[in-house]
Parts: sequence; structure tokens; C-alpha cells
Amino acid sequence: MKEYSVVGKPLPRVDGKVKVTGQADFSGDIRLPNMLHGKILRSPHPHAKIVSIDTSKAQALPGVKAVITGRDTAGIRFAFVDTPRYPADEYPLAIDKVRYIGEEVAAIAAVDEITAAEALELIEVEYEPIPAVFDPEEALKDGAPKVHEEIVPTTTCAWQDWGVSRQARPFKVVNNICATVSMSYGDIEEGFAESDHVRQDRFVVPATSHAAMEPHVALANYDPSGKLDVWLSHMSLAVKQYWLAKTLGIPIGKVRVHKTFTGGAFGGKINLFPYEFLAAFLSRKTGRPVRIVLSREEVFTSCRLSHRMIIDIKTGVKRDGTIMAQHVKLINDPGAYRGSSPVVMYLAHAFCNPIYNIPNWKHEGVGVYTNKAICTPKRGHGSPQARFAAESQLDIIAEHLGLDPAEMRLKNVRKTGDVLPNGDRLDSCGLGTGIWRALELTKWKEKRGRRNNRGIGMGLAAMFSGAAYYPFGSAAIVKLNPDGTATLFTGQSEFGQGSDTAVSQIAAEELGLGLDNVILVSADSELCPPDLGGFVSGGIFVSGEAVRRAAADAKQQLLTNAAEILETKVDDLDIGNGHIFVRANPEKGLSLAEIVRNSIQRHNADSIIGKGFCKPVPEIEFYPSLSKGTGRFTDAYGFAVAVAEVEVDPETGRVRVLEVTIADDCGFAINPVSVHGQLVSQAVMGVGDALYEEVTTEEGRIVNTSFADYKIPGVFDVPEFRHIPVESVEPKGPFGGKEVGECSRAAVIAAIANAVSDATGVRIYSLPITPEKVVR
Amino acid sequence: VKKLITLSVNGESRQVAVEPRTTLLDALRDELGLTGAKKGCDLGNCGSCTVLLDGKPVLSCLLLAVEAQGKDILTIEGLVQNGELHPLQQAFIDYAAFQCGFCTPGMILSAKALLDENPHPREEEVKEAISGNLCRCTGYTNIVEAVLKVAQSEKGTR
Repeated sequence: MKEYSVVGKPLPRVDGKVKVTGQADFSGDIRLPNMLHGKILRSPHPHAKIVSIDTSKAQALPGVKAVITGRDTAGIRFAFVDTPRYPADEYPLAIDKVRYIGEEVAAIAAVDEITAAEALELIEVEYEPIPAVFDPEEALKDGAPKVHEEIVPTTTCAWQDWGVSRQARPFKVVNNICATVSMSYGDIEEGFAESDHVRQDRFVVPATSHAAMEPHVALANYDPSGKLDVWLSHMSLAVKQYWLAKTLGIPIGKVRVHKTFTGGAFGGKINLFPYEFLAAFLSRKTGRPVRIVLSREEVFTSCRLSHRMIIDIKTGVKRDGTIMAQHVKLINDPGAYRGSSPVVMYLAHAFCNPIYNIPNWKHEGVGVYTNKAICTPKRGHGSPQARFAAESQLDIIAEHLGLDPAEMRLKNVRKTGDVLPNGDRLDSCGLGTGIWRALELTKWKEKRGRRNNRGIGMGLAAMFSGAAYYPFGSAAIVKLNPDGTATLFTGQSEFGQGSDTAVSQIAAEELGLGLDNVILVSADSELCPPDLGGFVSGGIFVSGEAVRRAAADAKQQLLTNAAEILETKVDDLDIGNGHIFVRANPEKGLSLAEIVRNSIQRHNADSIIGKGFCKPVPEIEFYPSLSKGTGRFTDAYGFAVAVAEVEVDPETGRVRVLEVTIADDCGFAINPVSVHGQLVSQAVMGVGDALYEEVTTEEGRIVNTSFADYKIPGVFDVPEFRHIPVESVEPKGPFGGKEVGECSRAAVIAAIANAVSDATGVRIYSLPITPEKVVR
Repeated sequence: VKKLITLSVNGESRQVAVEPRTTLLDALRDELGLTGAKKGCDLGNCGSCTVLLDGKPVLSCLLLAVEAQGKDILTIEGLVQNGELHPLQQAFIDYAAFQCGFCTPGMILSAKALLDENPHPREEEVKEAISGNLCRCTGYTNIVEAVLKVAQSEKGTR
């Protein structure tokens, strides 16, 4: 492999100093002069008609500058999914009825938070409660309460706005169905007929909270010239900018999302939220900056959860463990609005597609409205749910057949070079290698199947490296400065994953500069070109590649200039250590500073600016079909093999995760320390998912709305962690890199579930695996 | 009704007008512009608001500003001395002990309080010291390592 000097090195993060000194600005740290504070009145009912709202007392309270209700924002819609088939179904403020506890009903801007809170109490809302439905299978029945009537588009849909010439259609809600998927390959009936053993199970996965440490916040300042400046908690600015422009009716170029650091996201800050729109709307109404900081309780109840899913899975195998057929039926309950339901159901197939070679399969799903909080992507988006089901069942089948489940996996995993049913080709796939190496390192054979309250289990997962979505690509700009340093402009947001560092390393490597000589301007929509990396799990593969190409473009210009000065051919030159030199005679060369100055002098001040762009899956026009699963999905997959070792207390049923090993194929690791950090992060998050995280709802009311009642892993819950880098070189990725931040969580959850079963002989079919379930 | 109080923050005496119900966290963030202490839950459950009061870690979201009068308050902004990072701050960078950075100020201050009292703690003691600080990104392992490395280094803390 080529020797690199910046990428592949465990360099300290570029955002380190500001973060350890408290100088890193998160959006909640920004204050503007004359700023107002916004608060939101939320529905206390899971399902109720709004008979009347009287805001007069609130408006009369000194210090209150604006009170708005659904009347002020009528006609405005937005949603995570806004396609011709699925028009946007969310409102900034409820119009004539509320559909879940926590839904936005009115909003206030006041001179301080206390006044805003007092004013909330003065708003009088008369509700007429109506029957609600909480169970998706109940909601599917004839005669169940209707969460939505027909959804009629009020404007063009997002796809149209981005150039797809298909009009939004009204969406008729039948039996509360908000979305369906149905995709298949081969002949499922024949596959089952050819199987020696067919097994059917039901698995259930609850909603969890992303629980990023930073609660959601928005600060908006609409100035008299018609420009909107916002500071948001986000993980990709393009979609927020688009929706703010659209819902407020202002040109997208006049919406400036400013760079701030985001205090963790994990998917939970991906979509436009009502509070963000409301801050902007209230700012325009009052002519003053408005900040809305949500409480932790509001984050739990109204900032989206991970997807609840019931998974019926039927698998047919040959006696030797070869998988012949698999039929997956999902019931997804995204809550009172569609959220990302069609996407999560599609991804529950698409992320599993590259793992096992299954010759005949069918994947069906139905998304069902209920009167509960809304669901959105969370780290792996559909993969944790689907892998928990499929990997658990694989172990059940292996046990029935008397096979080692790891060997059964090896028999069925896909390999480099495989072409998937949708046409995606695996140019790199470390699954097989990962399994072998994990077995060896964990002493699997010695530990497996002892049933002595200690157990070991395995789980596999895969993840896209970027997907097609508006704005359909990332771009980057590299500007050379007269002193030979380079300034990189990328729209990527830093929300903890290390993108600021990784993209800087990529640019530095390509330009032969040290990391210190790359100045980064990121995540400012006014200064930076379009970017969707953080949105489509393509931070490295898509945005990083755009950055590499921008730097390569600048490098080419530098080389051309240098060849002119040195009177030689470009092909004879090389770049490194801030210089361009003749390869055969490294003494003969020029510094980048000299070349830049020369270009300015000789070429009418043509300074050197490189541009790069990258579109995920360039072969497809815009997007794959979510409902039919046809068309290419992504250009490269990340893979993870997780092995977990657990100890179960037979008296209490309490599970302790002793060790998690992850063999991860992320392609070439641009920054090995960041890669390791992403894996530990997912191992520990997976412990929480597997053992205790669940947002519990009673009659539509979330009962655990604080970290006292909703436990996330603390320092004493951390298992021993071992990382096996299974680095491949992904030919299409920057320096061979692909995805790492989301894949492993699903593998870890499945591995823990299988380890618990290995320890106890008890199979738990629902998450989390609580002590009650284990002892019962 | 606001009342003028004096707080000793990072070695400086600062006058600040607060209501009786204003928390120390809000006084630091909103009145003094010291936003390094974070509001992660405002309920005393997450540790992001940790500051040191006379060297002891406290949850500044649970403490009233008026109660902090007459005590030495140290926030993350006061840790850099003569332009140099505190060894813990440097170790958090060197050992990649942060990701999003939101819990980091509280983590560092909890660790500092430990090392000031117990310069050579065992791993369990480090874990105990930060057990009230939640982190959703790092999985904690690098944080524990960073603190242990400072404890083992010759320079130690100051």
C-alpha cells in the first residue's frame, strides 16, 4: 500500500483545543443582542380536537412579544419524507386536532425564559378528547380511530423542488397506513420448498431516545433585508436550510446556517423540527432574534425517537445451513406522523442485503400511524431492528441444525466481487475475514455453548457509504493562500464524528501539506458549497471524496504552474512537504507559496482555487424506489462483525456485558483514532440498546423523560473492548475509505442477544433484554 | 427581583445581578458569558454543568447562584494558565477523550477534582469520579485512559 503522510495517521483532532477549553460554540452558547426567548405549548392529550385557543391573557402579560397558534402557520407543511407518493404530513403548530402528547400547539416569544414560561400557562386551550390508538396492530383494524384523514399536498413536494418532474399526489390514509414497502427477489415459495428446515419467529424492538448530550436548540435572526441567520443543532445543514427556506417562503440563499458544533446527533437532529421553524417565524414576526432551547423532557417527548418495529421473519435453510429463502414482514409504528417510516422499512432490507447471499427473498413492510411520539433515523436506521431479528433467528436455526452459528454465517456471507440483487457490487467486503479473525481473538470455540451463565454470541451488520438524496451530492472548494497554506471549504458539520479532522487530513494529503497548513471553513451554508455527507451516511465516502477532488484540482493547477516555471513536464513532478519538486532531482523544486505567487504574477492574478464534487451512486438519476427497492442503493458498504461475551446472574436475570469485540471493515481508515472512537461508541451504545434502553409509553404518555428514568450507559457499564481493524481498500472511496460511524451498533446488539441465549438457553424475542425477561 | 451578588470565578471577583431562583449555571452562562459549563438536562442527572466550588465538583444546575457567594468557583475557562493547557486538557486531546465535546468541560473538571485530592488514583477511582458525568459519544474508555495517563505522568497536575 502507498505510504501516506497525513491520512491513515492517528492525528489529534483539529477541534481539540476549542473543545477542551470550553471555547467550542454550540448553538445554545450563542446569544445575540436584544434576543427573545421562545417557548412552546404542547398537547397534553394523545388525540383531541382543538375546540378553541384563547391567547389574550398570554399576549397581555408584560414582556410577551408574540403568541402564535396554528392559525398563523396554516398551510405550512414539512416532513422527513416528502415525495410524490408521500406528501409532507407535519405541521409547525397543530391546526384542528392534536395527535400525540407533546405536539406543538402554540408558541411564545418573550423577553426572558421565565416570562415565556409564565405566558404558556396563560394560554387557554379547549380540547375535546377523541379515542386514541396506541398499538399498531389495533390501528390497522377496521373501525380503529383515524389518526389522519387524507393528506392533500399544499405545495410542490421536495423532489419536485430538486428537479424531479413528478407531482405530489394526495395520500389516502386507509387503516392508518402511512407507508408500505414490498420488494422481492427469486422465488420465495420455491426457496422454502427446497429448504430442509423452515423457521418463523416474531421479534419486537421498542423506541429509544438518541439521548445526545446537547438538547436541541435553535437561534434565529430574521433581519429587515429579508435574510435569515440561524444557529441550529444539526448534522447536515442542507436539509434544514432547504426546509426553512421553503416553509418561510424566502430564497434558499438568504437562509444562512452558521457553523456551530453539535453536541451529538446519532440521527436525532437530522430533520427540520417545529421548534426550528418557530424560532425563525417568531423572529420574523417580532423583528428580533429568537432562541428556543428545549428541555430534556421535550427532547424525549417531541424530538423524535428510534423506530418501533415488529418483525416477523421466516427463513428456510438446507441441512448444512445454507440459507435458501427468507421472508421478512415488518410492522413499523412511526407514531402520529410518518417520520422516516418508508425509509426505515426500505433500509431494513437495504442494509441487510449485502450480508448474506439469500437466493430467494421477500421483504414487506407496513407503516402505521398511532397516537404516539414520532420516529426518525437513529444510528443504523433500521439495521439494529432488522439485524436483531435476523441474527437472533440465525442462531436459533443453527442450534436446531446442530451447527456452530459462526460457521453457518461463514457459509452464507457475501464476498468481495459479489453483485447484489439490486445491482450494487461489493468492491470491498471484509465480512468473512472479520468472522475468522474475531473467532480467533475471542477464543470462540472454547467459550461457545457452555451454558454456565457465561455466553458468547455474534452479530453481523452492514451500512451504506452514502445514498442518493437531495441535494444529490457534496461539493468542496480548496483555495491556496499566498503563503502556501490552503483553505478548505466544506459544508460538512462536526457533530462529534470527527469530520472536521478527517476532511482536513484528506485535503492535506492530496496537497502534500501538513495538517496545520490546512485552514478549515466548515458547516456554514453561506461560505461553503452544498453538502449532504452527514445526512446520507457519506461523510467520508461522499463529502470526503468531494474534498479530495477539490484538493486534486488545486494540485493539478499547482503542478501546471510549477512545470511552467521549472520548464519541465507535469508528469515529472511530485508534491510533498509544501513543495513541488522534480521527481528525479528532488533538490530542484518550488514551495507552494512561490507557485501561488507566480500564478498571480504571470496569469493576471489567477490565484489557485480547486473545486471538487461527488454524487453518491452517479449512475442513477435521482433516487432508488423506497417502496419497491429497485435501483442502485450505494457505491460501497461498511461491514461489522461483533462478538459479545456476557455473564448472566441466574438469580436476578441481570446481564453484564464483559467484552465486545468488533471486526470492522471501514475501508482505509483516514484517521485510525477516530475509527476506534466510533467503534467504542457503538459498542457502548449497543449495550444500552440491548439491555435497558426503551422509551416507555402509557396511554400515549412517555413516562421516562429524564436520565434518572431513562438509563443510558455510564462509565461502569462499559465492557472490555477489542477492535480488529479489517481494513480493505474501497476503490471508489477517498484513499480507499468508506463508512464507519453507524454500522457496528446493530451488530453489537445482535451479538449481545445471542450471547445471552448462549449463556442461559433462554431466547429473548424483544429488546431490551431486561432482567425480568431473562428470569421469566 | 434581581439582587446584586459577588461571585469569585476563575480567580476574578465578578458582580452579577441575579434573581433568588437563578441557578449558578444560568448565572455563569447567561450573565457572565462563561458558556463552557453546559446545560444537558437541568435536572442534575448528566453532569455536563459540573464546575468546581472550593475545589469540589458541583452540579451548577442544582445550585443557586446566591449559594455560591464567598466560594471559589472554577469553570473550564479558568483551567488554562499562562496560555498553557492544563495537563488534563492536553491528555483529553492526546488520547482522543472527546468527540462532540459537550460533556468534556464537566468531565475534565470532575477529573481535576479527583487528581487534586488523589494524584495517583486507581482505575476504579477514576471511574467513580466521573460516574456522574454522562457521555453518549466516546464510550468512556479514552476518558478513563486520559485521566490515568495524567495521574501517571511526572508532571501531574498543578
